[in-house]
Amino acid sequence: MKQASPLARFWNEFRESKVALAALVVVVLMIGVALLAPWIAPQDPYDLANLTLSDARRPPGYVGSGGFTHLLGTDAQGRDLFSAILYGLRISLQMGLIAGSLAFTVGVTLGITAAYLGGRWEAFIMRVIDLQLAFPAILLALVISAVLGQGKFQLIAALAAAQYAYFARTAHGAAAAERGKDYVEAAFSTPLPARRVVWRHILPNCLPPLIVVATVQVASAIALEATLSFLGVGLPVTEPSLGMLIANGFQYMMSGRYWISIYPGVALIILIVAINLVGDQIRDQVNPRLRR
Amino acid sequence: MSGSAEAVPLLEVRDLATHFHTRAGVVKAVDGVSFSLRRGEVMGLVGESGSGKSITGFSIIGLIDPPGKIESGSIRLEGRELIGLPSRELRAIRGKVISMVFQDPLMTLNPVLTIGAQILLALEAHEKVSAEAGRKRAIAALAQVRIPEPEAKVDFYPHQFSGGMRQRVAIAIALLHRPKLIICDEPTTALDVSIQAEILAEMKELVAELGMALIWISHDLATVASITSRVCVMRHGKIVETGPVLDVLTRPQHPYTQSLLDSLPSRAKPGTFLARGGGVPDASPPARRSGASPSRGSKADASYFVIQDVSKLFQTPPGILRLLGQKLGLSQPSRGVQAVDSVSLTVPRGEALGLVGESGSGKSTLGRMAAGIYAPNSGTVRLEGEPVMGGGARPHKNTTRIQTIFQDPFASLNPRMSIGDSIAEGPIAHRIVSRAGAAEYVRQWLAAVGLDPTFASRYPHQFSGGQRQRVAIARALAMQPDVVVCDEPVASLDVSIQAQIINLLMRLRTELNLTLIFISHDLSVVRHLCDRVAIMYRGKIVEEGPAGQIYDNPRHEYTRRLLAAVPVLPTAPPA
Amino acid sequence: MLGHILGRIVQALLVMLVMSALVFVGVYAIGNPIDVLIGPDVSQEMRLETIARYGLDRPLWEQYFTFLGRVLHGDFGRSFVFGMPVLELILSRLPATLELTLAAVFGAALIGVPAGIYAGYKPDSLLAKIIMAISILGFSVPTFWIGLVLIITFAVELQWLPAGGRGETASLFGVEWSFLTLNGLSHLLLPALNLAFFKLALMTRLARAGTREVMLTDTVKFARAAGLSEWTVLRRHVMRLIAIPIVTVFGLEFASTLAFAVVTETIFSWPGIGKLIIDSITSLDRPVMVAYLMLVAFVFITINFLVDLTYVALDPRLRKARA
Repeated sequence: MKQASPLARFWNEFRESKVALAALVVVVLMIGVALLAPWIAPQDPYDLANLTLSDARRPPGYVGSGGFTHLLGTDAQGRDLFSAILYGLRISLQMGLIAGSLAFTVGVTLGITAAYLGGRWEAFIMRVIDLQLAFPAILLALVISAVLGQGKFQLIAALAAAQYAYFARTAHGAAAAERGKDYVEAAFSTPLPARRVVWRHILPNCLPPLIVVATVQVASAIALEATLSFLGVGLPVTEPSLGMLIANGFQYMMSGRYWISIYPGVALIILIVAINLVGDQIRDQVNPRLRR
Repeated sequence: MSGSAEAVPLLEVRDLATHFHTRAGVVKAVDGVSFSLRRGEVMGLVGESGSGKSITGFSIIGLIDPPGKIESGSIRLEGRELIGLPSRELRAIRGKVISMVFQDPLMTLNPVLTIGAQILLALEAHEKVSAEAGRKRAIAALAQVRIPEPEAKVDFYPHQFSGGMRQRVAIAIALLHRPKLIICDEPTTALDVSIQAEILAEMKELVAELGMALIWISHDLATVASITSRVCVMRHGKIVETGPVLDVLTRPQHPYTQSLLDSLPSRAKPGTFLARGGGVPDASPPARRSGASPSRGSKADASYFVIQDVSKLFQTPPGILRLLGQKLGLSQPSRGVQAVDSVSLTVPRGEALGLVGESGSGKSTLGRMAAGIYAPNSGTVRLEGEPVMGGGARPHKNTTRIQTIFQDPFASLNPRMSIGDSIAEGPIAHRIVSRAGAAEYVRQWLAAVGLDPTFASRYPHQFSGGQRQRVAIARALAMQPDVVVCDEPVASLDVSIQAQIINLLMRLRTELNLTLIFISHDLSVVRHLCDRVAIMYRGKIVEEGPAGQIYDNPRHEYTRRLLAAVPVLPTAPPA
Repeated sequence: MLGHILGRIVQALLVMLVMSALVFVGVYAIGNPIDVLIGPDVSQEMRLETIARYGLDRPLWEQYFTFLGRVLHGDFGRSFVFGMPVLELILSRLPATLELTLAAVFGAALIGVPAGIYAGYKPDSLLAKIIMAISILGFSVPTFWIGLVLIITFAVELQWLPAGGRGETASLFGVEWSFLTLNGLSHLLLPALNLAFFKLALMTRLARAGTREVMLTDTVKFARAAGLSEWTVLRRHVMRLIAIPIVTVFGLEFASTLAFAVVTETIFSWPGIGKLIIDSITSLDRPVMVAYLMLVAFVFITINFLVDLTYVALDPRLRKARA
């Protein structure tokens, strides 16, 4: 018998699903490509010196004045769309991951604190969170970003504020379930300090459902950011995420220049679908009721 | 019944093999089982968990779900082969000719349908029946299984019934079409012993009254002995021994049957090591740290561990609005559950006290208060005069001297910690060992509970239930406690494993001079292990005294009923 | 039960009050509406006069209580941009959003739930895999992008359906509805489809997960052991058991669909309240924003309440506890 830690066992099971494994590879690749965008992209799309108006709105495969092939065509300013997508991916991922981590930290802290405190405090915190959950995330993000104004940090705050409640509820549910289990009572009976029980016992065992929520929420933060940018209340024009690239191309769609909008959209969808596929596999794996 | 039908057995199982194709490989759950059953015969199928007894039952009724598959063999019902039958024809047999009762009555009935609606569904599965006639049949079916006021109860939902009543409803559904065979899969295992006795008695009457055949699947030799006439003992997917119940239980031929019987504490002299309980390790536990508790032995034994007037009320805290309503006198304060109602107990040093009661009696809650896990609403728990729990909910430091062993070894270990870390965590936090010495300390404890010391880096999922319980024992004892609260530590283990754990506990208890509070629903285990017994009923202790006296000469009415309800094994004639 | 309902109503009122304060303070923080109200070339006196007329010189709390007092009389103020009473403005736009949302949510439930039950009942079949692939797409692809694709495919390329507007409407109960005319229906189809896609995926996934879990329970096994047909097991046991979570999500999603209508209405130029709120955010039309948010909060609380009641109707275990 190998001394397989729960993590190793999890990974072995995960690998069995070819779809999920492929999705994971895609996610990792996209993160890598986004990180390396300045070195991979044939052009710095936001260096105005690079842009020539005669290159604008050219279809995929066009060889521009820069001397290289525009694989995915160019946009209204003559930008290489492939480069713009790489940079856009960078911004979208950044927003999704930062907002997701912030929401995770705030939400999990609240949820576990509520479960740990119990009684009236628990009831109060969870009531407020349930109330917020009932309010659609998009509306909340819309209003908050309207209140705070445009900007990267404002948008991150808006996204996190719209999403932390999901983490809080999941963390609370998981922690409340773990709290009643014998091994937690055993830790209290030893007795171990409360902080240690929370960190070493309750939190690690709450992680599986939280990871599932995290994948879903990062994916939905990216989608939400794109939506807000599309509606014109998200990022400023100086930070062109995938959503803004799509919005910019929207007006040329009717005239048949589909690529300006469609390719950024395809990149966005591949990213979100891949994250969700990974999340789905984890969800199936951590659901004890479906285990065979 | 015609003579020609009499010649063919009701059920004939030949070389049945049901395998499960899992990630880890093929599990041969049933591996070549053969038996036959006459009309009206009552047969027991006995074995430990994983012996394939339940899978045999599910194979007969044709309910093997993937990844399980009947690989080969034959199941003939009145000469007709069932294996390979189209699913529609199998369905026509299920519930009509063969029916089944499951283990957990809380899980089998649909919580959102009335009892009447569920009986009607089962009726409609095999015959056309009007709503009115169906209701009448449902009421009659409930009356048949001795459910009082069936006219009213037919409109109840499952949650309005107790576990025993729900199992009666499940039996009523199984009996609906007067089947020729009924398979009961551990039907009383989830129930309290007094309810079990009632169901057993009623089942016996019903079988006699309706003349149907019965296969009674159980891990418990005593219940099987009290209802069946013939028994098959299963192990590793095979039948190792079969014969009339009395013969098998008094003159077992197969060594496995013999070892099962030897594992039962009810057949051994109280306080002795169980014959087949092997696995008692030779290694001694590590020495106590010196000067751990200076007061040791200085106080009179009579006031060693004292539980005084302890009560616990479980109450959901009211919301803010409800609280306001209560203040204004608009709404009533919610009534909680009085789990423990002013209980006092004194345990002298080195004694083993058994705390016996049925589910909901409050015995576990009392145990958790004794161990300082729950704070009592009123009353105190003191060890050598020092309170176990200080004021407020913060456990007093003194609770390190009292440790707990829990029932479910699958839940009592943190699945994400290696067992070595689980054992060392408490002793390091309380400076019983240094961080550097922890690894050696853990190895000594693993050896002392009969596990390979090199297992320390493994995780709980790599161990069997019995091994995990050994780890849990090591974890509790590594804190070097004086008092150990054992909450049903052997209830979820097979009898052979149970015997090993009982032997281990007995040995460690004497070696470490431990004081034990042993909580159990199992009267025979308590009798075997404990010097004194307290009987708990509805949050109160109704009777307390030396074990021998309680068992041989119970004074309280409830104790008498409890003892009478325990099924007794036929004992072997002296050899 | 009655006490429970009363308690919930009191609670709802409290929540509305808190919401109104939050919304008011939140919206107050957005920009300076005075720049919207008057042109930059207006004299200083005019400017101060306008500020005083709208009460914008008062402290925040005073403005809030004035607002609250008016709301109690059904007056949400006048839109800065449209110059008409906000309530009237919103009510005139509400039917368009309502019919869009209802069409989307019911469409999603009617297709998604059966598809999900099938996928949960036969998780290894090819059809189930196709259903799940579509659902993961629907779950992932942002609504606005699907809208774009729908327009390109059905309006621009195929030219089967119109790309925007409500089309012809017909009057019912004094309100104009699109779904009553053929032309209106053709205008409704694409936006409703767009809005439904995400919900469809959600319902499918939910129904599948519920079905998979229920199919493994002893309740189903026992029903099969009693000889019930698979169809009866699905219809009477599985559907009843998964109904509880589905109804909850259905209710919540109805409300969130109202919010997601913002995106769809923008893309399809659907003249509903979603488009109104986006316009009011960009033009800093405070009274409209406040009223809209209060309306959404109200819808939410009402739906939550109804879901709660349905819960009790569906789950007998709750009846006793709350009696």
